[in-house]
Amino acid sequence: MKLFKYVITITFSLVSFISTAEVSVIVNSANNNDISAGQIKKIFLGKSKSFADGNKVEVFSLADGSNDTQVFRLNALSKSNSQYKSYWAKLAFTGKGTPPKSISDSEMISTVKSNSNAIGFINSDKVTGDVKVIATF
Amino acid sequence: MKLTNLAKTSLASLCLISTCSLAEVNISGFSSINVGKVLSGTGVEHYGIEPTFLADYPNVSAYNEEWDFEPESLFGIQFDADLMDGLSATAQIVARGTEEWKPEFEWAYISYELNENWTLQAGKKRLPLFYYSDFYDVGYAYVWMRPSADNYTWQIFNYTGMNVLYSTDIGDWSLAANLYGGKEDDKDNKLLGDYFSGGVETREIWKDILGGVVNISKDWFEARFTAMQYTNERYVDGERKYWGEDDYRDGTFYGAAFNFDFENLFVLTELSHLAIDEYSFERTLKFDSRMITVGYRIQEFTPFVAYSEFEQEGEDGENHNTQSVGLRWDFHSSAAFKVQYDKVEDNSYWLAVAGDSESLTFGVDLIF
Repeated sequence: MKLFKYVITITFSLVSFISTAEVSVIVNSANNNDISAGQIKKIFLGKSKSFADGNKVEVFSLADGSNDTQVFRLNALSKSNSQYKSYWAKLAFTGKGTPPKSISDSEMISTVKSNSNAIGFINSDKVTGDVKVIATF
Repeated sequence: MKLTNLAKTSLASLCLISTCSLAEVNISGFSSINVGKVLSGTGVEHYGIEPTFLADYPNVSAYNEEWDFEPESLFGIQFDADLMDGLSATAQIVARGTEEWKPEFEWAYISYELNENWTLQAGKKRLPLFYYSDFYDVGYAYVWMRPSADNYTWQIFNYTGMNVLYSTDIGDWSLAANLYGGKEDDKDNKLLGDYFSGGVETREIWKDILGGVVNISKDWFEARFTAMQYTNERYVDGERKYWGEDDYRDGTFYGAAFNFDFENLFVLTELSHLAIDEYSFERTLKFDSRMITVGYRIQEFTPFVAYSEFEQEGEDGENHNTQSVGLRWDFHSSAAFKVQYDKVEDNSYWLAVAGDSESLTFGVDLIF
């Protein structure tokens, strides 16, 4: 009985934890390109390498272990962590691409703020006026 | 004069140093530690082969009735140096259990991105014959213990040459193409030497290699088509091999792969056809292989079943097939545990490879 209660509590806290973990895809404030959800997916999977204006994209991710990273991969890219990593292993080890660079939460805002070609994502609670949000997942 | 030379040398080394410090070198890698054994097998009595499971032809990863760690375990490191403005250099070093862990360069090439669509590459690379050939060693990137042995039977898996990559978007579809050409001269071919020629050193040459790959994909579907031609020359125990009056023969390879991925269910398929023209004998040897895998993802667990076969045209041609069932468990964000049962049927007599077998293999694949 005690165990049952315990399981229920954990399940609920997990559900609420995941539902509040909304992530925002961010770009530099000066970036005025129209970027669709489909385009975001292509950029993070290395299929699209530049913005509509022709500028080369620089892609940034949070660490693998981060919950926000998992939420982003699942919701924006429809890939589990292992599917995402298998996908990139295939490209990286065949010379066809380099996976997005992983940076920390604190570096994400400053990097996107200072780099006009950057795209990244961060927990929606951590977004500041220094960057532009183009989508949430 | 000497001083000038010294100055030049110093200047050159300084430039080198500064160039090096500008280049961003990214180190990544992969490893597989696998173990397995034959549960029961017939071997090939008339060739003196004990019960054996030939899990992988190119590297001759063979298991017998004792548990063995060496056949498929490997460790690989890749260095990517980004020299800016689209220029990069890549080297991949792999140490295998089958080669007594002696590290070897599998890849060493430079790459130049002309623009968003076109990339030129030159050096030593994997020969992209089959769907999984390019990343055959990276176990983490696929579901099984290894791509099916019946398909991946070829003795040559690298080449030195040039290739051009093209990629573009067409609406929801992505297109990627690769045109390549080059040569491979393998002084001591493992598969031919250790296995098919009974321990005699065999030098295998594939020259005038010319091939192309086209890959189209969208979210849940992917198709890959490939064609390649080459001229084969061979030296057995130092002696040039003749096929009738000719000291060469020509091969033509075609392949197709179709992959479907619906939410958690996926289906992987691959077909190939190889024709080798032996002019003096006025004949063409024909080989076909097929593979199908069905898997289903349940959280971090992916059970799958697979079937593959290899068939040579004609009476008593090389003919074998494999039924497999396995499980991949993504227990860690950079590692997967896999276990697989394989049942091999070897149906030829004179061209028997390793006989029938049932075997169990398991291990961990990781990337870093």
